[in-house]
Amino acid sequence: MKKYIFFIASALGMMLLGGCDKFLDTQNLTKKDTSNFPVNETDAFQMVNGIYSVMNRNLADPEEDPFFIFDIASDDRLGGGSQSNIGAQGVDRLMNAYVNWMNPCWSNRYKGINRANSALETIDNVTSWTSASKKEQLLCEIYFLRAWYYFNLAQVFNGVPLVLSTEPQNLPRNTPDEVYAQIASDLKASIEHGPSQRYLDLGEGRANKWIAEGMMARVWLFYTGFYNKSELPLVEGGSISKAQVVSWLEDCIQNSGYGLVSDQRNLWPYTNPYTAKDYPYANENKLNWETDENMECMFSIKMSNKGGWSADSQLRHNRIVEFYGLRKTTEAAFPFSVQGYSNGPVCEKLWTDWAEDPDYAGDYRRVGSICDRLVEIPDYPGDKAKEVENTNLLAKKYIGCEAWNEDHSARYLSYGYYYGSENNRQTGLTQAITWLRFADVLLMHSELSDGKVIYNGKSGMNAVRARAGLPDIAYSLANIKKERRYELCFEAIRWNDLRRWGDVSEIVKNQVGNKILNEKYTGEYTFTVDFMERYQATGGFFKIPEDQVTLSEGVLEQNPGWESGTNWAKGDLPYFKK
Amino acid sequence: MYKHLLKCASILLVLSAFLGGAQAFAQNRAISGTVYDENEQPVIGAVVMVVGNNRIATTTEADGSFTLHVPAGASISVESLGYVSQTIAVGDQLSFDIILQEDTQMLDETVVVGYGVQRKKLITGSTVNVSGEKLAATNAVDAFGALQSQAAGVNIVQNSGQPGESYKVTIRGMGTAGSNTPLYVVDGVPNGSITALSPNDIESIDVLKDAASSAIYGARASNGVILVTTKKGKAGKIQVTFDGYYGWQNANTNGVTPLNAKQYMEINDLAYDIQGTAKYDWASLIPKQYAQIQAGTWNGTNWLEETMVKNAPISNASINIRGGSEVSRFAIGFSKFDQTGTLGWPATPQYDRMTVRMNSDYSLIRKHGRDVLKFGENVTFTYTNKKGVSIGGIYDNNIRTLLTMSPLLPAYNDEGGWYEYKDIVADKWDFSAEMANPLAQLDYTRNQRYNKGYRLQSNFFLEFAPIKGLTFRSSFGWLYNHSESRSYVPVYELSTKSANPLDDVRQDQSYSMRWSLENTANWVKSFGRHNVDVLLGQSLEKWGYGSSVGVGNSNSLFPGSFEHAYITNANVVDPAYTSISGSPNSQGALSSFFGRANYNFAEKYLFSAVLRADGSSNFARGHRWGFFPSVSAGWVVSNEDFMSSTSNWLSFFKLRGSWGQNGNCNISSFQYVATVAFDDPYYFDSKDNPGIGAYPDILPNKDVKWETSEQLDLGFDARFFRSRLGLSFDWYNKMTKDWLVRAPILLSYGTGAPYVNGGDIKNTGFEVLLSWDDSPSRDFSYGISATFSHNKNMVTRIANSEGIIHGASNAIAQNTAELYRIQVGYPIGYFWGYEMDGIIQNDAQKQAYLDKYFEGDASKSFQGSSIQPGDVMFVDRNGDHKIDESDKTMIGDPNPDFTAGLTLHLEWKGLDFALNGYGSFGQQVAKSYRQFSDHPDDNYCTDVYTKYWNGEGSTNHYPRFTHGKHVNMSELSRVWIEDADFFKISTITLGYDLKRALKFLPVAKCRLYVTATNMFTFTGYSGMDPEVGFGNGTSWASGIDNGYYPSARSWQVGLNIAF
Repeated sequence: MKKYIFFIASALGMMLLGGCDKFLDTQNLTKKDTSNFPVNETDAFQMVNGIYSVMNRNLADPEEDPFFIFDIASDDRLGGGSQSNIGAQGVDRLMNAYVNWMNPCWSNRYKGINRANSALETIDNVTSWTSASKKEQLLCEIYFLRAWYYFNLAQVFNGVPLVLSTEPQNLPRNTPDEVYAQIASDLKASIEHGPSQRYLDLGEGRANKWIAEGMMARVWLFYTGFYNKSELPLVEGGSISKAQVVSWLEDCIQNSGYGLVSDQRNLWPYTNPYTAKDYPYANENKLNWETDENMECMFSIKMSNKGGWSADSQLRHNRIVEFYGLRKTTEAAFPFSVQGYSNGPVCEKLWTDWAEDPDYAGDYRRVGSICDRLVEIPDYPGDKAKEVENTNLLAKKYIGCEAWNEDHSARYLSYGYYYGSENNRQTGLTQAITWLRFADVLLMHSELSDGKVIYNGKSGMNAVRARAGLPDIAYSLANIKKERRYELCFEAIRWNDLRRWGDVSEIVKNQVGNKILNEKYTGEYTFTVDFMERYQATGGFFKIPEDQVTLSEGVLEQNPGWESGTNWAKGDLPYFKK
Repeated sequence: MYKHLLKCASILLVLSAFLGGAQAFAQNRAISGTVYDENEQPVIGAVVMVVGNNRIATTTEADGSFTLHVPAGASISVESLGYVSQTIAVGDQLSFDIILQEDTQMLDETVVVGYGVQRKKLITGSTVNVSGEKLAATNAVDAFGALQSQAAGVNIVQNSGQPGESYKVTIRGMGTAGSNTPLYVVDGVPNGSITALSPNDIESIDVLKDAASSAIYGARASNGVILVTTKKGKAGKIQVTFDGYYGWQNANTNGVTPLNAKQYMEINDLAYDIQGTAKYDWASLIPKQYAQIQAGTWNGTNWLEETMVKNAPISNASINIRGGSEVSRFAIGFSKFDQTGTLGWPATPQYDRMTVRMNSDYSLIRKHGRDVLKFGENVTFTYTNKKGVSIGGIYDNNIRTLLTMSPLLPAYNDEGGWYEYKDIVADKWDFSAEMANPLAQLDYTRNQRYNKGYRLQSNFFLEFAPIKGLTFRSSFGWLYNHSESRSYVPVYELSTKSANPLDDVRQDQSYSMRWSLENTANWVKSFGRHNVDVLLGQSLEKWGYGSSVGVGNSNSLFPGSFEHAYITNANVVDPAYTSISGSPNSQGALSSFFGRANYNFAEKYLFSAVLRADGSSNFARGHRWGFFPSVSAGWVVSNEDFMSSTSNWLSFFKLRGSWGQNGNCNISSFQYVATVAFDDPYYFDSKDNPGIGAYPDILPNKDVKWETSEQLDLGFDARFFRSRLGLSFDWYNKMTKDWLVRAPILLSYGTGAPYVNGGDIKNTGFEVLLSWDDSPSRDFSYGISATFSHNKNMVTRIANSEGIIHGASNAIAQNTAELYRIQVGYPIGYFWGYEMDGIIQNDAQKQAYLDKYFEGDASKSFQGSSIQPGDVMFVDRNGDHKIDESDKTMIGDPNPDFTAGLTLHLEWKGLDFALNGYGSFGQQVAKSYRQFSDHPDDNYCTDVYTKYWNGEGSTNHYPRFTHGKHVNMSELSRVWIEDADFFKISTITLGYDLKRALKFLPVAKCRLYVTATNMFTFTGYSGMDPEVGFGNGTSWASGIDNGYYPSARSWQVGLNIAF
């Protein structure tokens, strides 16, 4: 009976209401949808721009951003922060920090991949281009970004599911070989699509062929080194040889228009004139910031003067810098007086190794990269109530700096104020995060070509040394390792270099026993669980967010060493000797 | 007892007749008689009096007899509650046997149902009807406050005690993870606002609880429907009434007191002692203040005390005028309400509301005493002005900051100004960089602002009744809402972390409109004893007209002036700090057809059937239409002949049952297409030049459709003893199917989850309403009613592999895990954490605990090898000899098992007394008034001395006192969960009608009264207020107390005047 009523009513309803559908159609006034987007070149650019911005989104949770992870996990920095910064301390110790840890990294990289997939699927809907090269350029960017996000995932998590379309699928993890083949193929496509315009003709900040060539070298070195292979496979078959990578690097070095800036320290914001005039070190050395737009920083995450704080949308300031800032700052900490959370104290060993190495005598980069708090800012007392793992050594490359105004009557919370940002200790931090720098391209070239002469009549390694005022030395793997450690310190390079060289066991030696201050108590850095034990268990890969493993109904397998129960927060923290 | 009471009342009544005064008695002769009811039972306490002279009166004795001296030619009237009054001409008769007919009129009260009214006794569904009088009698701020004690099955919980904050209203338990808000229909127009009305404007509120009652609102009725009827005009003399009160409120903090400076330092020293590390060197950290504390000249700042507003005023004034003739009737109301918050000085919260209401109707054609064509309108305009402090979460919560700020920070400097960063520097105050003067912060950030709302609710109708019993009605409803806000934050510097180097000027405006058009035809006809009532209708609704704009900027040309804080006066655009927004409202439409047929035979056998079809714009073509049927039936057993033997005590008994389906379409629109959003810019070559970034923001779900709730309701309504005792009972089983959830999807899909029809949830329960009303004499009446409801909530399906919808972490403190979640097999929003076996009391118990769960190995325990007496015994539920996530389970449920309401009223000779109360039982609250992990220097409350474990046998609930982040505290367990059973006496009122004593007053009534609000809260809960609606911003969560704005306690004095 009920059925009949239903049927009759439905039939009646449908007849009556056919015309009603129009009444019920509504228009979306703020969004387009995939049926009417993208249709023209402007749309296509907007669609590609959207692929970049997930990098900013990840910065809302800096402790789970690949840059922070690679930087802190290395032997040259500790987790630091306060007792509650277990994210940073977990990265440093390869210990579990939170439930669903690394979710922002996983999520944002896959968002980027989805956007890239969507762009590849719909770019052909755009029929009118102002020039054929525009589409080629965009394809170069799309392939590069997809490769880049997979490379981030592969370095943090090892083999991950390869999602190559926007169709939702519950996929198992691919092998590292498969993932790296995809990365290599995408980078190769990026190189092939990318127009050969020189730096600045292409516009600042966008990915291009040269960047893809440089990144290919990094991928090649990591894959062959870490997985002990001789070549990098391609999806379509075949592989990329060392010689091929070297020739791409040479193309990049000779044709890209990128180069080294005159003084390496001028890459870092503390050399900006507004801060420098009151910062004796910068002033006396006549340093002058090259700004974030320069010929050396090839691929960066760009920030904005415009604050963005919503949890769902991207953040537009550099929160990693915010976390690296000192705590409870006063004028005495100038110029590093932008208040932050004191993450990433620098390990003593880097400071002393650098000083003791005769090859590096007189290297300005040592004090240019590291601030000895007791020497440079002796009156700053630190935060005795909260700061932990303090080594009194502060990394200078990525850190907020203040500036005094003209007549020294007011201090601005960020030098950025003078460049148009808010005078705010958070949103004023607009320093770009550079993921690929020309110096790295030179050093990789040396490493791949055994120190072949390539730039200004020198090998890549010696060109970089010469810029630092150091004499030429002979090429050796040992020498390139040292050079990479010093030139690229605090730039998220070291951790993966150690891993690919198989040098991670050194890390224990570097960190254990490091004198530290925990709140107001002196102590020595120790591990709660032996680090090498953790490294061997995990391979230096991190935990896949538990909820993803559960949601996949077991299709997605957890990384070894991160099964439940290995929880960092268990028991008392190791700062205080019992 | 009852007889005795009656007797007393009767004597008083008669006495009062004599007290009347000087009138000469013309008692010509004595008459006597007996009053019986239809069953020949004597009627006790019936009033017998002379018509036209109520001083000559008496009441009947226990055997129904009376005697009275009456003047010649008089008539007498006989009255008793529950019976039809009789008037008898005395004539020459001396003795009378009077039989009173039972007053069935009492059961003939009508109640409002969807698209019409129905006689209460013929209702087959489950509804609650509360009259405006009863609402107004509670003197509550708005109708929700008034309903709290009166509506069984309707759970109303304050979101906050701050003036102007809303309530969380759930009918028969939470049925969805989305919006659980019932549909509000004001004067027939859906989506009206109750809080926009003054309680004095309301004629009645009807709550449709079961599916059959609410099915007529189909698509939006799955959370129940609340119908509000405003006061209408009546033919007759113009009536003017005035209601007003003024009150004094104080914060009801339940004894929560933060530590003073000395106590704070002691406790911190103790904490470091326990940790085994050196204490703070107070003398060097706060040199100046330490000296003052040691000298006894200062003992720190009591921030909670400082922020309290003593005797914060609350006032209300309303005037209602109604009257009219046969052809035109009107009702006009005006009211003004103002309330000041009891906490939050110097940014003292304030809520003002003004309403103007005009309802009228006109007969355009009138024939044979019947309106053939009638036109009318109901229009209410509401103005609100609101300002308040920030409440809620763990960070942006002023109340929490005031509770937790260290008392060592002074509030004022030596000049009497705020203690700011310059004072911190000057005094070398060096305790913590996290601390900034919270009062100054309130003053600077929350004081200079307002938020004004202007709202028009209206409907216009035309009724055409060509023949008797057939009515066509067309009604057009129009809602207009405008809000405007403005704020100013000056430049300030309170600490290195809390500073505003540029001032902020902000202006926001928005408006929205919606309309509805309804056409109904109603036919009522009796064929002998067959009674038929059929309704057919159609409605259209459209919303989303309007837009909002907002601008924020810095560098006001009038620094420091809120008065001049307009964007025009801060007009230099700078991308770093200028923010602009402007967006349209989200559009939507609903188209519906509905029908209802009621049939009864001799008012004995009742049947009703409803069918509604709704089409919603929220779904794709082909999935838009939903059909919502319902059937119900009733049997008025007491009308059966075979029940005549019980009619002397059972006045009325009706059995009823109903089944029906309702819908919910309340989701964001456009879930069925892959929308492309444009809110992700990327800055390529300049930090000022955004490159617009676009991306597909959801995974589309083409098949998304209605969620349906299906409900079975069985119940009865009974009245006993001449209808004085009422009892209603309902049992229900409500099943929400396919509820619309945004269930987590794999992040590797790379975009947002859409709404899917992804879960089932079940609510079962019962409701009892018990009432007694009697009026033993003309001058005495009293009544008591109690409601009692029970609900059990259980999630039975979630359409993802986990079967879980996760809540947020860090809900009660930084570094705490997910506290609440939705999971199959558990009540919605339950608290998730570790079970605990109590606290380790001694070493033997420690060993026993380690042996039981960890094979005797302390290092496997959660606390590790340092485990000691005073630590929490976490339960290893899965027996794997370690404590981890998989051992977590339900540790609390914020949904009450039982709710109860109580109202009581007494009236005697112009004196009246009323009491209202309500309570909730069986629910838990998660409470933390400290940020122990990232703010270890947060202040404690005085319960720190008693709450913590302090040696064997001291407590089994709270662990030993430790500093900072310790497993005992940072791992969520029952440590954080408290039972929050409570019963609140919400109002007690005592009034007297001065007209009784002062006859010369030129008014019909002049009642003066005193009300005490929230004077008594019976609870074992340790926080400020056990009634915690806050759910960390999640619609389905509640019971999270992070420092909650408590409800106020107040005294009010009021006046009701009727002319």
